[in-house]
Amino acid sequence: MSRLTTWVRLSFALQRWELLFMVGGSALLVAGMLWIAWQANAVVGIDPGCFGSDGGARACERLVQQFNGLYDLGTKLLDVGFGVPFGMGLVLGVPLIAREIDHGTADMAWTLSRSRVRWLAPRIVFVALVVIGLLLVIAIASDVVAQAIQPGSNLAADFTWYGRRGGLLVMRGLLALGVGVAIGAIFGRQLPALLVAIFVSIAIFTAVSLGMDRWLETDAVATPYVVELGGGKQLGQRIELADGRLVSFTELSPSGQTNIAIEADGMVYTSMDENGLVSGDPVGRMVSLVVPGDLYPTIVLRESGVLGGLALLAGGLAFLVVNRRRPY
Amino acid sequence: MSDPVLEARALAKRYRRGVWALGGIDLAIPHGGITALVGPNAAGKSTLIKTWVGFERPTRGGVTVAGIDPWKDRSGALAHLGYVPQSPSLYDALTVDDHLAMAVQLRPGFDRATAAARLGQLGIPRSAPARQLSGGQQAQVALALALGTRADILLLDEPLASLDPLARREFLHVLTDAVRTDGATALLSSHIVTDVEQACDRLVVLGVGRVLLHSTVADALASHRISEAGDEPIAGGTPVATFAGPAGEALTLVQLEQPLPGGGLRAANLEEVVMGYLASARVPVADAA
Repeated sequence: MSRLTTWVRLSFALQRWELLFMVGGSALLVAGMLWIAWQANAVVGIDPGCFGSDGGARACERLVQQFNGLYDLGTKLLDVGFGVPFGMGLVLGVPLIAREIDHGTADMAWTLSRSRVRWLAPRIVFVALVVIGLLLVIAIASDVVAQAIQPGSNLAADFTWYGRRGGLLVMRGLLALGVGVAIGAIFGRQLPALLVAIFVSIAIFTAVSLGMDRWLETDAVATPYVVELGGGKQLGQRIELADGRLVSFTELSPSGQTNIAIEADGMVYTSMDENGLVSGDPVGRMVSLVVPGDLYPTIVLRESGVLGGLALLAGGLAFLVVNRRRPY
Repeated sequence: MSDPVLEARALAKRYRRGVWALGGIDLAIPHGGITALVGPNAAGKSTLIKTWVGFERPTRGGVTVAGIDPWKDRSGALAHLGYVPQSPSLYDALTVDDHLAMAVQLRPGFDRATAAARLGQLGIPRSAPARQLSGGQQAQVALALALGTRADILLLDEPLASLDPLARREFLHVLTDAVRTDGATALLSSHIVTDVEQACDRLVVLGVGRVLLHSTVADALASHRISEAGDEPIAGGTPVATFAGPAGEALTLVQLEQPLPGGGLRAANLEEVVMGYLASARVPVADAA
């Protein structure tokens, strides 16, 4: 038997139940997504005209109702897909080292192997490959279902369901895996490590999300307040001052000059005081900050890079801890 | 004495909670044979072994394995070491064969054939998951894994503690056979003296973090006698300590100053030698008498 098959067989045996659970769960999720996509495509295929601009016709009602039901299910599955990378990364990552310490097998393994890095690397690589493989399939299925319930749109240049579909799922799973392995190595006990890893993951992903939004502001363009997004991602509103500067309402408030112009439906409105009176000339106009949809691939790549970098850092921390800690 | 294969120099170890497990010991284990590391619970036996393995960092002093400091060059030290932990530490879900396959992956040069043959001789089913093996069989698998490394030094941390008498005897038989065949050096810790009496060539008695006695088993027996004469002066010997015998009688361990014992002394067995030294660490001889 080759070293490769032995490595795969032993690595699988050491995490058999978690792996089977993840493979089974992923298969169910993917099957559900593909079924929804198939059904949605079939409904749209009966009369594509019902899903265009004249879709309100009476003859379309039943088809649209059917489609809306599938849309709801599809978005629910996309929401589930959003949580899967976290669950998968932590469930497979935390026990990798913590269970060895918990069950007392680490002291034998760490003396049989002359190097703890040599012991840990193949274990992490195996689980990482499983995570990548499963999440890649889920990522593809999520794109398929998203396209099916949003017919006619170009999702390759569209921020709709950002982070709930596509390659970001894989990178989030790898970061959760790295965090799980590192926290498991630090605590050496499975249950406390899992609880702490959940907390730390939430904190890290919130921080990454906020950080990425700040970064996105550099790519955003100011558009009229009411705008058709066209696949773009709206980051919020700002006030464009006469000199072209963009400020938030909070930044504007201290000046006392809060009268701003709002353009909508071809009309220009100005803000009023509590008496309903216009209070002076507008100091600027309300605009929306939107990241254009065609930047979607770039933004996904950028966030993937950040998540991948953090995953490597977490993995590196796990190696560092394993190399220094006691096996008990 | 040849260069020691295991050495501790002024080794002291204090745990985080402030407890001193080892209080500055000097010890040199020469090449070859089996050395028994004997002492009561909490004497520091496991700490000493774990320091040699590189699991514990000395608070003061240092240790070497074949001249290598395991804290500075863990890989180099482990290349010389086979380790059997207190509990067998096997993977429940893996079979015995899986453990051997894993050892081959982890340890370059692991002698799978010899390890498998040893387990075969003991009738241990290699296709059985570890969780289905008895405690004795698990200990034998752990020993086979350590022996399969072909390491020149074996550290065994109380592997007999949870075994029944028959399993203990089988374990020691395999160990002595392997050590004598391979010319390795083994350090076997235990708090049960009778277990190791037959198997060991050397004896280290550890008590309250100090080395109380280090000698060959033969010398230890030849140079000590037992006095049952209470606090009468002992000609030709120095009292080590007085301790209670099996029937509660006061026995005094005497270290001989000359080859032939004085009158009223009888030969000591190894357990009495160990008991005497452990008692000496607890209570001053004069007080005990």
